[in-house]
Amino acid sequence: MLSTIAIESLKRRKTTAILTLLSITISISLLLCVDIIRTQVKTSFTRTVSGVDLIVGAPSGQLNLLLSSVFNIGTPTKGIEYKSIAALQSNKQVSWLIPLSLGDTHRGFRVVGTTNSFFDHFKYGDMQSLEMAAGSAFTQPLSTVVGADIAKSLGYKVGDKIIISHGLGSVSFNNHDDHPFTISGIVKKTGTPVDKAVYVTLQGLEEAHTGPKHSPTSMLGRKPADKAKEHEHEHEHEHEHDEHTKEHAVYNSEAFTPESVSVVMLGLKHRVTALQLQYQINQSKKEPLMAILPGMALAELWQIMGNVESLLLGLSGLIVICALIGLATMLLATMRERYQEIAVLRTIGAGPFTLLLLIQIEAMLLTIVSAALSLGLVAGLMSALKPWLSSTYGLFLSSPLFGQSSVIIILLILGCTYLVSLFPAVAAYRRGLHAGLNANS
Amino acid sequence: MNTINKNNSTHSQRNAVSEEHNAVNKERNTAIEVSNLQFSYTKESPPIVDIKAWQVSQGEHVFLSGPSGSGKSTLLNLLCGTLTPTQGDIALLAQPFSALSNRQRDKFRARNIGVVFQQFNLIPYLSVAQNINAAVYFASTNVSKTASDAQLRHLLDKLQLPSHVLHAKADALSIGQQQRVAIARALINDPQLLIVDEPTSALDTDARDSFMSLLKDVAGESTMIFVSHDKAMESYFDRHCSMSELSPSTNHLKTRGDEAPKAQERA
Repeated sequence: MLSTIAIESLKRRKTTAILTLLSITISISLLLCVDIIRTQVKTSFTRTVSGVDLIVGAPSGQLNLLLSSVFNIGTPTKGIEYKSIAALQSNKQVSWLIPLSLGDTHRGFRVVGTTNSFFDHFKYGDMQSLEMAAGSAFTQPLSTVVGADIAKSLGYKVGDKIIISHGLGSVSFNNHDDHPFTISGIVKKTGTPVDKAVYVTLQGLEEAHTGPKHSPTSMLGRKPADKAKEHEHEHEHEHEHDEHTKEHAVYNSEAFTPESVSVVMLGLKHRVTALQLQYQINQSKKEPLMAILPGMALAELWQIMGNVESLLLGLSGLIVICALIGLATMLLATMRERYQEIAVLRTIGAGPFTLLLLIQIEAMLLTIVSAALSLGLVAGLMSALKPWLSSTYGLFLSSPLFGQSSVIIILLILGCTYLVSLFPAVAAYRRGLHAGLNANS
Repeated sequence: MNTINKNNSTHSQRNAVSEEHNAVNKERNTAIEVSNLQFSYTKESPPIVDIKAWQVSQGEHVFLSGPSGSGKSTLLNLLCGTLTPTQGDIALLAQPFSALSNRQRDKFRARNIGVVFQQFNLIPYLSVAQNINAAVYFASTNVSKTASDAQLRHLLDKLQLPSHVLHAKADALSIGQQQRVAIARALINDPQLLIVDEPTSALDTDARDSFMSLLKDVAGESTMIFVSHDKAMESYFDRHCSMSELSPSTNHLKTRGDEAPKAQERA
């Protein structure tokens, strides 16, 4: 009955109740958005790369190197010369090496020049390897492997031909029309920037820029021990592929020697040697290089973001408190016109405490409805912004969207509602102590 | 000597039994018993109500009159338990009402006292059914208890109200209909005591007469205290009490222009 009275009372004060509801909904939504972005950024970034021990590039900053190589965010740095890559290749501590050449796009998606080593060694999430949803890794110099989101949004399938454009950005005036790449494979969805990247061979990328070049002198990306495995691997491909790919099945993408690449990812035989190798690379006198530990770079990122996070959370929290004070003010302002109701309720047996409870139920109802609306609004907003967040900020939203922190936030807001609603509730209680017949005469 | 003592003892025993019987009889017959009742809104202000002794028998319909400011509403609020006496006792239906805790008094009121106001009887944004059921809710220990539709319709029928008003909002009804719904709400818990505060002040003579006949009819065996400053209504009741007789000292002060300020009453 009390909830019926509370609901009907709010319905009677429809305009003020809706405005209050709106302000609370917006403020809770803001707080939830900040919290979701905060937690999702961490989850998304942390799951993007695993198993890569060192990332080597031209000296810039460790964040720039990390963001451009792993997250496809920002502009890539100056390249690393081949001789440095060869030196890394021959280092005894290095187990595998993935060269990455960045800077081109295909219809707004980043193009990454690499070798088959990428598909063999790159891991994401909880050390999960990349798997092909269709086709295989590179089978010829002008092969390309596309991410799951690209295949889905652009409707690509294995065997389709695509053209890449020079430079970053969704519109380019410099298309490499004379070097169409054939899709040899589509990577299974990973929920990482891999889904939104086009992988081409280093050879194909360089040919697209400078014309054909043949220098099968190197086995980039793989240690000599991998060669036999490579052969077996390619034989497997031979059996799997259709006629089109069969003739190129023996293609060894690592055999090509690029002039330079943007970044190199390293996998070490023993992870404990990572710091030592990092020091060696950073001190290298031949070519100035910079090696970063992805974990350390991420930690630095969290440190920078931590302050911004706290600031945003604090501000959003204050906005919620303002909205709740607005709610209390609304209820307090209606108290004068409610004296008659209070008198009626008192004489039919409602105690002052019941009146206090009634006002608190009204406040709680508004906040609960606002919280429910906010959850729906934020879920809808996030779902609508999902493609934009992943393409612009490399932020891949994973489910569940609302975690433990969202629950804590809602509970805290309900707690705050209880506290601020005490002001009008106590006013009703005090009025109830004296309200009776003829209260208005 | 022994025989005399024995006789005396038997006599005193008989007296005790007789007194007890009288007391039981008195408890059974007395609906309201007020003794040495005083009430003032602040410690400094003179009492608004000062009644030495007053009794109302069960089933009695009492007409309480007095000019504005004579303390009628204050007395009703004291009888309802929405105000607590500054001094003295009120016993209702053989219960030491003024000695009960606030919570007990609220529950007692919800179960045993039906109240009809002068105006603003109903909660405007609730439907007629919800208004009546609110009284059921506060009187019951079972939070989900409500009056059945048949019960409500029967009551409305008795009060000559069409059954379609049941789901109408209270403020969509006429004043006369609102007053009848207020009576329905006051009667829904079969109270033993009905307190009615100037319900006819907004009605013309014909409407007043029809309302009074209806009220007397539906009140039945319940004890009723009916308050009005219109002495012409006296004929409808078993007994007439005026505030100047009940509370002579406070009404004596008022006749000298020393009325309790209204602001204090509103406090």
